[in-house]
Amino acid sequence: MANHSATHPKHVHHHFVNSNQQFESAKLGMWVFLVNEILFFGGLFCAYIVFRAWYPELFTQAALELNTFWGAVNTVVLIGSSLTVAMAIRSAQNNQKRGLEINLLITILLACVFLVIKYFEYEHKLHLGIAPGSFWNPTPEIAAVLDHPKANIFFGIYYMMTAVHGLHVIIGIALMVWLYLRARKGHFNSEYYTPVEITGLYWHLVDLIWIFLFPLLYLIE
Amino acid sequence: MSEHHGHHIASAKQLWGIGIALLILTVLTVTVAGLGLPSPFDILSAMAIALTKAFLVAAFFMGLYWDTKFNSMLLIGALAFFILMVSITLLDTLYRDDVVPSF
Repeated sequence: MANHSATHPKHVHHHFVNSNQQFESAKLGMWVFLVNEILFFGGLFCAYIVFRAWYPELFTQAALELNTFWGAVNTVVLIGSSLTVAMAIRSAQNNQKRGLEINLLITILLACVFLVIKYFEYEHKLHLGIAPGSFWNPTPEIAAVLDHPKANIFFGIYYMMTAVHGLHVIIGIALMVWLYLRARKGHFNSEYYTPVEITGLYWHLVDLIWIFLFPLLYLIE
Repeated sequence: MSEHHGHHIASAKQLWGIGIALLILTVLTVTVAGLGLPSPFDILSAMAIALTKAFLVAAFFMGLYWDTKFNSMLLIGALAFFILMVSITLLDTLYRDDVVPSF
């Protein structure tokens, strides 16, 4: 193929027919990874369902220790970050380098806000001895209102689900920083923005998981 | 449709519309939870709203609405296997005489 470089854009690898096939393959690969992620979180949701079916009264009681207001604020923060990621992809598709950079920066900022709020929620609970599993050691005031023998299990599930979700947020921030640095170097344009697209898919999944975690953990009355 | 690849470019108006719809649904789910509906309507309403939000995110933010059907099939397949996993587990845990003591 002597005229390879003449017919193929620089970003297209040898084994792809064209840029579009490469893009669709990358996206398919990401969706397969997201299937794996859904089933990975699915195991945790399954534990939640089993224990809620066993101890419905525990979930009603224990959820009162979670702050609905901050949970709702974090939901809004994540929805906002999903919107800015979608706008970042749109900017890349329209060759708007500045728009791409700004939207990525806002996304990183919102993701950090989410983690800071989460940190203060954890800090407050651990201060009251509301810890998972065998670390359960509540203050007398908490023990008086939450005297269920399995209370530590609810918080085991709470910490596991939110911490694994939080880990995904941290990984997401790292990916967004990487995208931002590449965007500044002008690596992305309407012909090639695959990393922005598939990182966006990952970020939306992190948002999707939280959309279910929020009502299941915080909104049980 | 762009003339280069056929990639759909969502308009800014569309994306903001979805974002605002998601915010309204978030306010709605908090409001409905505050009503204190009797079980199981509390959990059913919360899950109905969460599924609506999830549909909006998957269809428009993740672009499945404009995408090849194969990617939608993967997502639906993941949900089907999740339901299978939960169902088979519940067939055991719901019908135990005694919950395992240490659990």
